[in-house]
Amino acid sequence: MTLGRYIARKAGWYLVALVAAVSLNFLLPRLVPGNPVDVIVSNLARGGSITGEQQKAIYEGFVAEFGLDAPLWQQFLTYLGKVFTGDLGTSFANYPASVNDLIGQALPWSIAVQLPAVLIGWIAGNLVGAIAAFRGGNWDRSVFTSALFLSAMPYYCLSILLLYGFAVVAGIFPVGGAYSLGLTPEFSVEFLWDALSYYWLPFLSLVVVFIGGQAVGMRSMAIYELGGDYVNYARAMGIRDGKITQYIFRNAMLPQITGLALAIGTLVGGALITELVFSYPGVGTLLFTAITQNDYPVIQAVTLIITVAVLVANFLVEIAYGVIDPRIRAASAGEK
Amino acid sequence: MSTPNAPVTDEKAAPRANPFRSLNFSGRFWISLVLVLGVILLGLAGYLYPTGPGEKVGSLYDAPGAGLPLGSDNFGHDVLAVLMAGTRTSLIIGLVAGIVATTIGVIVGLVAGYVGGWFEELLMGATNVVLAIPSIIVLILISISLPQSSIWSLAIVIGITSWPWTARAVRAQASSVATREHIDVARLSGARLPGILLRDVLPYILSYIVMAFVLQIAGAILAESSLSMLGLGPSGANSLGIQLHWALAFQAVGGGAWWAFLPPTIVLTLVSFGFLLLQSSLDEVFNPRLRRGKRRQMKQAAARRAEEARQLAEQAASAPAPDTTRAGDPA
Amino acid sequence: MSELLARATNIRCVYGGGEKDFTAVDGVSVELGEGEILGLAGESGCGKTTLGNALAMIATPPLYVLSGSLEIDGESIDLSTLSVADLKRHRPYRGRTVSMLPQGAMNSISPTLRIRSLVHDVMRAHDPRVTKSEALDLARDRLKMLDMPVRVLDSYAHQLSGGMKQRLITVISTLQNPRLLIADEPTSALDVSSQRMLVEMLLAMVEQRIMSGVVFVTHDLPVLSQVSDRLAIMNAGRIIETGPTRQLVEHPQHDYTRTLLSSVLDPSRETRQRGRERSAGRGAAAATSSEEVGTR
Repeated sequence: MTLGRYIARKAGWYLVALVAAVSLNFLLPRLVPGNPVDVIVSNLARGGSITGEQQKAIYEGFVAEFGLDAPLWQQFLTYLGKVFTGDLGTSFANYPASVNDLIGQALPWSIAVQLPAVLIGWIAGNLVGAIAAFRGGNWDRSVFTSALFLSAMPYYCLSILLLYGFAVVAGIFPVGGAYSLGLTPEFSVEFLWDALSYYWLPFLSLVVVFIGGQAVGMRSMAIYELGGDYVNYARAMGIRDGKITQYIFRNAMLPQITGLALAIGTLVGGALITELVFSYPGVGTLLFTAITQNDYPVIQAVTLIITVAVLVANFLVEIAYGVIDPRIRAASAGEK
Repeated sequence: MSTPNAPVTDEKAAPRANPFRSLNFSGRFWISLVLVLGVILLGLAGYLYPTGPGEKVGSLYDAPGAGLPLGSDNFGHDVLAVLMAGTRTSLIIGLVAGIVATTIGVIVGLVAGYVGGWFEELLMGATNVVLAIPSIIVLILISISLPQSSIWSLAIVIGITSWPWTARAVRAQASSVATREHIDVARLSGARLPGILLRDVLPYILSYIVMAFVLQIAGAILAESSLSMLGLGPSGANSLGIQLHWALAFQAVGGGAWWAFLPPTIVLTLVSFGFLLLQSSLDEVFNPRLRRGKRRQMKQAAARRAEEARQLAEQAASAPAPDTTRAGDPA
Repeated sequence: MSELLARATNIRCVYGGGEKDFTAVDGVSVELGEGEILGLAGESGCGKTTLGNALAMIATPPLYVLSGSLEIDGESIDLSTLSVADLKRHRPYRGRTVSMLPQGAMNSISPTLRIRSLVHDVMRAHDPRVTKSEALDLARDRLKMLDMPVRVLDSYAHQLSGGMKQRLITVISTLQNPRLLIADEPTSALDVSSQRMLVEMLLAMVEQRIMSGVVFVTHDLPVLSQVSDRLAIMNAGRIIETGPTRQLVEHPQHDYTRTLLSSVLDPSRETRQRGRERSAGRGAAAATSSEEVGTR
């Protein structure tokens, strides 16, 4: 199968996944029996966070925006329309703040921590794993065990340990938040420098666990490849170890790329709670607050964005794999 | 480069030894087993522990001491009692979810791998779709839709969102087994699909199923704790995640009440690590290419060989050339 | 036998990995003449492949060569391989003095490596100055000489059939004109017509002195009886009997040889016919006389 067909097929399935995700996002909250808006709004009122007038405004706004009196399929289309035009609605709990604004404020913080964590973690983790596999011996043993331990640890567990150890006890890092009190976010050196000290622990808790996972995977793959026939043959031809290492690396990388897709999904999920631990103002904290406040528009918007982001990342990874693996890139010509 | 355990040829000329010799459980296996059993014992110990998890025995975050080995939590409950109960809950959820996920995954994977063709494509496509959507998101969406979540409903929900991974692994194995001869024999002798799957395919992939099951349990435990920390955990119950949830909500970390959050963190880490280590050591048992050999034994053997080689070299130097057993005349 | 090409003396190999090492090759010595194809035959587990590995100097753990020397081109090479250092020491000889045609040729090419890159790497392994175009020119000449399509160079392993890969590996293994080629079960995984093509290719290469001698390791005695000039029978790590093929097959001296031959060889019409064609084709190039009939 050629690269073109491969990409087309993947694109097709990812489109299906997107549709499924959006539908799920739409349908699940509506499974709540009874009129969801009534429940939601009455919950809000009970919580005492809004006035009677606000309550009425929210109720009417919600009904109007999503056409709740219309049949389900029409609601779905309205929802789709809104989503594709980028209108994610209005928050309940922070009425009349628009969801777009809330997410717009939170998203950069999350991306700032997660994206570098994935990139650096992937490169460093695979290097460490490969070296461990080639060196063997005691080095391999200790690297493997520590990497396995780190990868086994949930992201937020490491967060808690780091926070307690380095911030509360040792006082090296601040105990939560993203920047010092009194400062406002802006693109100045001053602010960025200040934000950096808050950045380290959240970043470390993500990248260290990620490295652990990648290292373990790469090590297993490399060891498996070391036993391959082509390694023996290359050696039999007098090819140097360094060159053979290149062969092994290239082959071991392929399953690692596949694994990257899943690893990103896990990281994003774990980062949600990591943000909670550090009181970091990213989408995780936003989501958590929204859940406690039953702020459905925000919850739905956040889950949708996270899902779409992960799907896009996975799709790109799959395309990269198709390009790199010659068994897919170069169609089977069948030279008999 | 390290010297790998490269399988040299088909005629390895190794002694036809007791097959169980190859089931050489490494040190890692025993360590992981100890960890997992230790956590299970911790949970069970809750039945013997005098104080119940719901009893108020102290005030907000009493430090350990005076009959409270791990102090009291934000509700004034005995942290150790809560820990034990929480461990039990988490393990149960993990087990139930693991069983559900593995069962669904194995069935889907077996059928897809064995039947093949467009059916396999369809199933695997659907599996990949489910896999691509982050499971935590689905769990969140489902949890907020359910009015109340109990231990069992949560376990089942986690189970039905995490089977795709197992299905994929099982399918790969099943489709490679499906091409082996004994399957053809079974088919020709008239066996039907469920029978073939059960008797002829399943035994060969049992090792993979076991490993997948181990991973599912670990994943489920972590999934539950993630949900609990987001406030979507089983209502009215104690779990490791819920314990952490309260610790975070009441600022235990900032306040330095380490007894409130360190124990569940450590237990969570250990149980996750234990299961992962178990899976990786099982992987070595079932997949010999990953084995790297016992250190001490290999060193002794290498020394032995070096000695033998030296002796042979000495012999060769002093003695005349040994007989070459050449019968037959050069033409 | 014609002029001596190589002499291997007192090779002893063990397999480690348990409490006790297993002796796979127990003090074997063997000689090979110029332009000669020596068949190394025996049942599975007799140690012939291990011996081949020891000669090609690619014994990797759990296989260890405790002793042995190879005299070739006036040099005496110590074959003992106990550690990684020994493997490194042997590198200059591998592929150049002694080369290996492996058993699992199907998987001997890395899936992410283009054939032409492999060719270049093989040539560069012993002479870093060889450029890619020089290496590819040589490869193309060889391929043309042996009636193989030149475009395999641009392919990946997965694009080639099993038989094609086997012949390609044969070309790659002999790119540097090794003095001695160890062919380990090269025909075992092939269908009959591919087998024939490979065997003819090996014979042609020996004729053209691409390599000076071949040790053909196999359990497939009928193939050996057509191809090899001399035959060595192995059992339980020792060489039981050696001699010119025709002589050994018709008048085996040893009981084991007799048993082996009688259980395997079946001088069917087809074999005889092929044998006649073989003799006619090879003509005077062979060291042995070209009589027909029997098992040749």
